[in-house]
Amino acid sequence: MSRAGTPTRTPGDTRGAPKPRRKRGLFRRSASVPALRRQQAYYGALFVVPGLLIYTAFMVFPFLATIYLSFTNWDGVSPERDWIGLANYARIFGDATALKAFANNVVWVVLGTIAPVVLGLFEALLVWTGGQRGSLLFRTLFFLPFVLPLVVVGIVWQWIYHPLFGILNSALDGVGLDGVSRGWLADPHTALYAVLIAAIWGATGFCFLILHAALQNVDMSTVEAAMIDGANWFQRAWNVIIPQIAPQLTMVTAVTLIGGFAVFDIVFVMTGGGPGNASEMLATYTYKTAFQQNQAGYGSALAMLITILSLVSAVVFVRLRER
Amino acid sequence: MSSPSFGSSSRLVGTLARFLTLAFFSVLVLYPLLLIVSTAVKDPLDVTPNPFALFSSVNLMNFVDAWTLGGFGGYFWNTLIITAFTLLGTIALSVLAGYALARLYFPGRNLIFMIFLTGLMFPFFAVMIPLFYELRDTGLLGTKLGVILVLIAGASGYGLPIGVFLMRSFYMDLPEELADAARVDGASEFEVFWRIMLPLSGPGVAVLSVLVFFQTWNVFIVPLLYLPGSENRVLATGLYLFSSGRTQEYELTAAGSLIMVLPVVLFFLAFQRLFVRGLTAGAIK
Repeated sequence: MSRAGTPTRTPGDTRGAPKPRRKRGLFRRSASVPALRRQQAYYGALFVVPGLLIYTAFMVFPFLATIYLSFTNWDGVSPERDWIGLANYARIFGDATALKAFANNVVWVVLGTIAPVVLGLFEALLVWTGGQRGSLLFRTLFFLPFVLPLVVVGIVWQWIYHPLFGILNSALDGVGLDGVSRGWLADPHTALYAVLIAAIWGATGFCFLILHAALQNVDMSTVEAAMIDGANWFQRAWNVIIPQIAPQLTMVTAVTLIGGFAVFDIVFVMTGGGPGNASEMLATYTYKTAFQQNQAGYGSALAMLITILSLVSAVVFVRLRER
Repeated sequence: MSSPSFGSSSRLVGTLARFLTLAFFSVLVLYPLLLIVSTAVKDPLDVTPNPFALFSSVNLMNFVDAWTLGGFGGYFWNTLIITAFTLLGTIALSVLAGYALARLYFPGRNLIFMIFLTGLMFPFFAVMIPLFYELRDTGLLGTKLGVILVLIAGASGYGLPIGVFLMRSFYMDLPEELADAARVDGASEFEVFWRIMLPLSGPGVAVLSVLVFFQTWNVFIVPLLYLPGSENRVLATGLYLFSSGRTQEYELTAAGSLIMVLPVVLFFLAFQRLFVRGLTAGAIK
């Protein structure tokens, strides 16, 4: 609708944005394309700078510093800081505690990923009743463990494992298995697994939540068809339902797995990595090395190891997913 | 022996099996939760002989004692302040940056987005050590401000990187027409943002808020390292230090745990759907 004013021709520029506007007389104060671009650039930069500054100062810069420190022998206190090349990294391979921690992390990543995903899936299938969302009570209940901070999970499971008063030993004694009772967190053979079970208890809630939500999108007609074909519960689950939630299943597995190399909170709270180094993790060991033993350089190398492991497993997972 | 009765009895078995399995899992999930509550309300005199017997006595003074004598009241306020400001800062900066990266054209915007994205890929340990010295040397160690800035930056995994990512996706999904119409009407870029886009940001901000609140309230290793003293201590580290090595007064530890847990549980119950969406979006990264 042109007015008596001066309608300008739309500029022929079609590359990229912002889109050119026809200027109408009454709207003369609207910006021309170059002015629009300037405005956008101005506000774009303005909006981005504060966040970028904080992020750069407290994330980018420290990360680069970690890389740098891993090549030094700095202890965090003295002004001396000598470049020692790959010596820290080489040291990891000869460090018994580091190797033990790595082995523990591998165990954790394997068991601590499979168990919550499988259990979470199982719970989700149990609670899901056909096309509906299932009972609110169970949905809330099964998710609750994940909402608790790991500090609290660690504390309450310490009580469960309590050698004298904990329910685990009481139950074992009750059924006549007193020989099995022990200080679960104090015994080097069981400490790691005891902590792992507590962690699985918490992590299952997360997997349950995501997978339960995923089940809402399953096409019920395929399930019904399978039922008519005589498939039992397991067959229906395996052949019909699971393929339909495969993306979320992959995602949940990936998140859990990648986080497994950086596990810290619950181990720190329940055993501190002990007894000895029975439950030591790369993360707890890094913490101790850097802040209790004043070896900032070596600690940084360990931190880089954790970072590399997390990144590699993420990349591997993404590749596998695209297969 | 006819088919119908055969079918119905196997269905009955199926339902029974399902019910029993559900009950079994429920007990496994429920017991630790009940243990916390039971211990929190237990009479202190009952705690020494029977610390973990379920609900053998009731004494609500434990919460008061934990709040005052245990120090959990102070921890609560510290946690609240830190979480609130982290939330505000993250939301504000994520909205601004997310909008700019989604809708404003300026040189280097793709590079900047990539830079933010890398923050999602690295675990906290990649920055942990230098951050400590950085905070120490700038006088921010042990201060709430230091921790708030660190959390906003994304140290806990739930700060600017995920915020920018989510808000950018959100704004990219909004229809262009509204903004275009406003531009045609003569609105400046700022007015487009302020009058049109910002009011529409509700859903995206809600999801991000739930995620950031939940993770910031519960974060442990960040305050462990960067709030070492008893000043400004938060619930996560306060609870750990209170319980560590303590073999008595379980009722106070449990009460303190509930003080820490209740806000998040209530939040979750009120905003379940947002929780699901937030966690799903956070995991997609």
